[in-house]
Amino acid sequence: MSEAFTEWLRSRTDEQLRALAMSRPELITPVPAHVTGLAARAGTPSALGRALDRLDRFALAVAENLALAPGPLRALRDRLRRSGPAPAGAVDRALDGALERLRTMALVHGPDSDLRLAPGVSAALDPPAGLGPPIADVFRHHAPEAVEVLLEDLGAPADGGVPRERLARVFADPERVRRLLGEISPQARAALDELAWGPSSGRVPNARREVRPADAQSPIEELLARGLLGATGEESVALPREVGLVLRDGRLHRDLSPVPPPLDGITRDRDLADRTGAGQAFGFVRSAEELCELWSVDAPGVLRTGGLAVRDLKRTAQALDVPEWAAAFLVEIVHAAGLIASGGSIDGEWLPTAAYDTWLVRSTEERWAALASAWLTLDRAPGLAGGRDERDRLLNALHPDLRRSAAIEVRAKTLAVLAGAEPGLAPSTESVLDRLAWEQPRRRGGHRSEFTEFTLREAELIGVTGLGAMSGHGRALLDGGRAEAAEALAPLLPEPVDKVLLQADLTAVAPGPLTSDLGRWLALAADVESKGGATVYRFSEGSVRRVLDAGQSAEELLAMLERHSATPVPQPLSYLVGDVARRHGRLRVGTASAYIRCDDPAVLEEVLADRRSNALRLRRLAPTVVASKTSRATLIDSLRAMGYAPVAESLDGDVMISRPDARRTESPPARAVNGFHGPEPEAVAAAIRAIRAGDAAHRSHLERLPEPGGALPRSPATATITALQEAIRQGTRVWIGYLDSQGQATSRILEPARMEGGYLTAYDETRAAIHRFALHRITGVADVN
Amino acid sequence: MNDGPLIVQSDKTLLLEVEHERADDCRKAIAPFAELERAPEHVHTYRVTPLALWNARAAGHDAEQVIDALISYSRYPVPHALLVDVAETMARYGRLKLDKHPTHGLVLTSTDRAVLEEVLRSKKIQPMLGERLPDDTVVVHPSERGNIKQALLKLGWPAEDLAGYVDGEAHPIILTEEGWELRSYQREAADAFWHGGSGVVVLPCGAGKTIVGAAAMARAQATTLILVTNTVSVHQWKQELLKRTSLTEAEIGEYTGAKKEIRPVTIATYQVMTAKRQGEYRHLELFDARDWGLIVYDEVHLLPAPIFRMTADLQARRRVGLTATLVREDGREGDVFSLIGPKRYDAPWKEMENQGWIAPADCVEVRVTLTDEERLAYAMSDNEERYRFCATTPSKLRVTEALVRRHAGEQVLVIGQYIDQLDELAEHLDAPVIKGETRVRERERLFQAFRDKEIQVLVVSKVANFSIDLPEAAVAIQVSGTFGSRQEEAQRLGRVLRPKASGGGARFYSVVSRDTVDQDFAAHRQRFLAEQGYAYQIIDADDVLR
Repeated sequence: MSEAFTEWLRSRTDEQLRALAMSRPELITPVPAHVTGLAARAGTPSALGRALDRLDRFALAVAENLALAPGPLRALRDRLRRSGPAPAGAVDRALDGALERLRTMALVHGPDSDLRLAPGVSAALDPPAGLGPPIADVFRHHAPEAVEVLLEDLGAPADGGVPRERLARVFADPERVRRLLGEISPQARAALDELAWGPSSGRVPNARREVRPADAQSPIEELLARGLLGATGEESVALPREVGLVLRDGRLHRDLSPVPPPLDGITRDRDLADRTGAGQAFGFVRSAEELCELWSVDAPGVLRTGGLAVRDLKRTAQALDVPEWAAAFLVEIVHAAGLIASGGSIDGEWLPTAAYDTWLVRSTEERWAALASAWLTLDRAPGLAGGRDERDRLLNALHPDLRRSAAIEVRAKTLAVLAGAEPGLAPSTESVLDRLAWEQPRRRGGHRSEFTEFTLREAELIGVTGLGAMSGHGRALLDGGRAEAAEALAPLLPEPVDKVLLQADLTAVAPGPLTSDLGRWLALAADVESKGGATVYRFSEGSVRRVLDAGQSAEELLAMLERHSATPVPQPLSYLVGDVARRHGRLRVGTASAYIRCDDPAVLEEVLADRRSNALRLRRLAPTVVASKTSRATLIDSLRAMGYAPVAESLDGDVMISRPDARRTESPPARAVNGFHGPEPEAVAAAIRAIRAGDAAHRSHLERLPEPGGALPRSPATATITALQEAIRQGTRVWIGYLDSQGQATSRILEPARMEGGYLTAYDETRAAIHRFALHRITGVADVN
Repeated sequence: MNDGPLIVQSDKTLLLEVEHERADDCRKAIAPFAELERAPEHVHTYRVTPLALWNARAAGHDAEQVIDALISYSRYPVPHALLVDVAETMARYGRLKLDKHPTHGLVLTSTDRAVLEEVLRSKKIQPMLGERLPDDTVVVHPSERGNIKQALLKLGWPAEDLAGYVDGEAHPIILTEEGWELRSYQREAADAFWHGGSGVVVLPCGAGKTIVGAAAMARAQATTLILVTNTVSVHQWKQELLKRTSLTEAEIGEYTGAKKEIRPVTIATYQVMTAKRQGEYRHLELFDARDWGLIVYDEVHLLPAPIFRMTADLQARRRVGLTATLVREDGREGDVFSLIGPKRYDAPWKEMENQGWIAPADCVEVRVTLTDEERLAYAMSDNEERYRFCATTPSKLRVTEALVRRHAGEQVLVIGQYIDQLDELAEHLDAPVIKGETRVRERERLFQAFRDKEIQVLVVSKVANFSIDLPEAAVAIQVSGTFGSRQEEAQRLGRVLRPKASGGGARFYSVVSRDTVDQDFAAHRQRFLAEQGYAYQIIDADDVLR
């Protein structure tokens, strides 16, 4: 561990350390005991890997240049200016920013006159910028005699040193390498140029052949004979780093851009994009509702391994009239938003939750915001559903296998790119991928570019983008949150209408979203033929009968139609209603005191006369009303058994239209996933305070505070936790009572840093060290004073 | 919020609110790429199908125009997926082209190699192709011009046929506009066809499709083969052509079961063309008998399958199809598109009616309640016999009589399916009957007497479904039909749609047995007309009898 680095780290201000922890949160999990610990943690390969992954193309290039040649800022700047076509001013500006960031992340330390990489960074970056290994490494496995021969051919003075090291000294001189390059044929030079910008290794047969410059038969042999290429295996050769650098003319990169590549695409009218996004949002909410309604009555089973069967997904997609990927996405979002969960019978079924019912009564924009924010924090990749994983296993929607931690991060990055684009710009997928590749060049492979594509199409489907451009409400969701998003979306949504157009071909057209009451009623009274901005319903004998079954009379049905029709009810429709009613039963049953109501006294007489009704203990109240002592349910069942078709009536005399077959799961909704966001600033601040304190103690062996005397503090558990949280936030010290592992009651003065998983991490002033305390053993908290 | 008249649905239907002030403009903008599916009183439904989009491409519209029309008239945001789909579908048309090569004859060319490779791999396409030439060009056997178009359409890559037409044998034909003139829409239809080369003109019954045919012939100035549904229709075409054009009796030939004349203009029936002897089509030579410059297909929606096959071999000749509806009960709309040609012109029925070109009509469904004995018999009848039983129930007799009485003094047609029923009706109504076995001469005498109002009531079987010109028929009573055939219902209504000398409207009754399959079939039959905006009023037979 470099002492200089540790000292540099220690010299950073608290604010700078907090910035470090914010940018590399893994360094304070768990909180290291002191700055030396922090420095050690920062130098581990895994922590460095994660830090480097967060660098953009340019900052990474800065680090790579420093890996190759640490030193003054001037030289670095010079090399970078030559690394691409960008104007010097832009490079300088970007360099200042990149250095600031690298220092903040503790990847670079030292003054401008002597910039150095933090310990371990060089190794983590190796090989930098696609260069080959140093020549000493290339010839590591060559026989010393062979290297001697090569040295002789190169005209190196025989000074008796280790051959490999002498070789390295020869090649360390760029002039020397340049002279060697001047000796070779153009074909050989062309072969080298192929390797110059990477990949720096190639395949040739019989790579280990021994060749002298005079006997070289082919371009490759010319190169091998001069050490410009070295064999690294039976059939592989590598370009030594020193040669590569000369070929690259002393720079590491040739087309380095100091700024992210611009996004290109189609510029949309912003209004149109917003409205299209709103249209998609509206459709998505509607599909979510349809999905839940569908599954309330026809719940798909939970697979034995979890998840939703492919067959059920197909069926759902068909019923909702959407492609399968969209159905999988919808199912995942609805699940993530807690609207469906597994439950029901023993084998398990996917059923709507009680939360669905509360979601349902909220406004469309709030419902959308709930779904869209569930998407932002979804740590799964719904786009993979229906495909196969690395082991060729089928991936099912809602299955645990769809968890991909990268998905949430790529989604956030992709959306950030979209949000950062010119308003109205619908960037092409390629340019988004290019931008992301620049922003995180080390993050490649896996499903990352696929995840970006998923994100783009999902954003369009859910309405965060409209025609490919970030919509106003999408931006509000990303910048603000649910409330802001709902507020931005509300004015773009169509007003609900309470009038439909009835037509003679027995269709009804609702030219917009219906008020929820009317919508539900129509869904019962007619069959939906077409959906979208409007809804087309068709009345049929069956649908009219459904209304009558639900207890409304033909007159009530027609009155309802008249009330909600902009035009007179067409004759064929009223004829249809009359025709169906002609053959339909007319019994009605009430709840409050269990009564039977019927417009036709004769029917009641019939009921009373039936011997089977004796058990119901019926009493006639009026020619059209009969009361019963039994419960409504028993009454209805018995009447049905007698062959009537009674319906339930609510307190105020309305018929209760409910689908008795709609079911809900008892299980709680899925736990909301902790979203992709940085660490909490308060926690970071507390952690840094603890490190500082620990460091001070560690270095000066600070005197421990004496244990405070007197009775141990005692407080109820909830109060303890609240007080500790408050102390973390405020950065104040507290006095606690603690039962140690032997059960001994002790008294401590703490500076709490973090609380998680039932433990408190804090700097213990009475022990002068950072400790973890089990929360359940803390007897109470009191103010230090 | 955009206050447009159009609502775009996610299932690719378009709802047009007709009372909206911009509805007319909108209709014009969307008509090229959307098929009118339903036209009831308030909201018309159009459907955007691949065929409709390709029709639009063939007519020179591009995806941008389509998308622009959708966005600018749509009240709500247009679903993104739909826009993408429109652009993709339209881009499929014309990737492949059939063209004439100076040395290799008919060739298939492509601007997109991937598409060409895809279709070349198809087992259906391979046998039709010859040598592969450079520049993504493949030789097509000239005889496969029609088949390859059919096959490519099925693969979803409709080819644009640019191989041109033979001129055929020239023959002067002039429209003689004396005492009448070509209506504006008839001229537009003929022009649209001519510029497109080949294709289909969609006009309502009674809108003068024969004249559009004559106008097309006048544009072609060439020998013409006309294919029609039956012999009576042959005679009517002949009469019309004599009346409307410079053609003389000697220039028009009839090619029917009875006569086999081949003249510069020859009118043949589908039936004679598809007649087989010993498994061979006997009259195929008619197609080669002359160097036809134009082939007219009357009632394209009825084109029988063998005619499609024959048409596949006639792709080098100009073809015009005439029909009231592209709806086919057999779903072969795609074959009409690839073999006859894209839709070149259409006009909605109600619009024609509003402009006075066809008579307004009231459609009434009369529901007859079966007597108890009839119900019992109906319930016990065999499945195959059920429709016949309820369609010919004696109760209908009384209702029909009452209806005829109600319209005493008007020209009434009674149309039915079953001969027994028709004979019985004729007897009760004391009216002559025309059925399959009635001789042509006798048929024409009766039709003429009906036109001259010498007889007022005529009972006809389905032989009179098509193309019988009876301008003064004001009332049609349908007592039974060919199950649920939608186009038959439209054709029958068409019998009474000619504008009346009196300027009055027409009335169409459909007598139906309540609560039987007759009622179900009737509902299906009525769909096309209901969708065209004809509202069926439903009344009880008792109201008629009272």
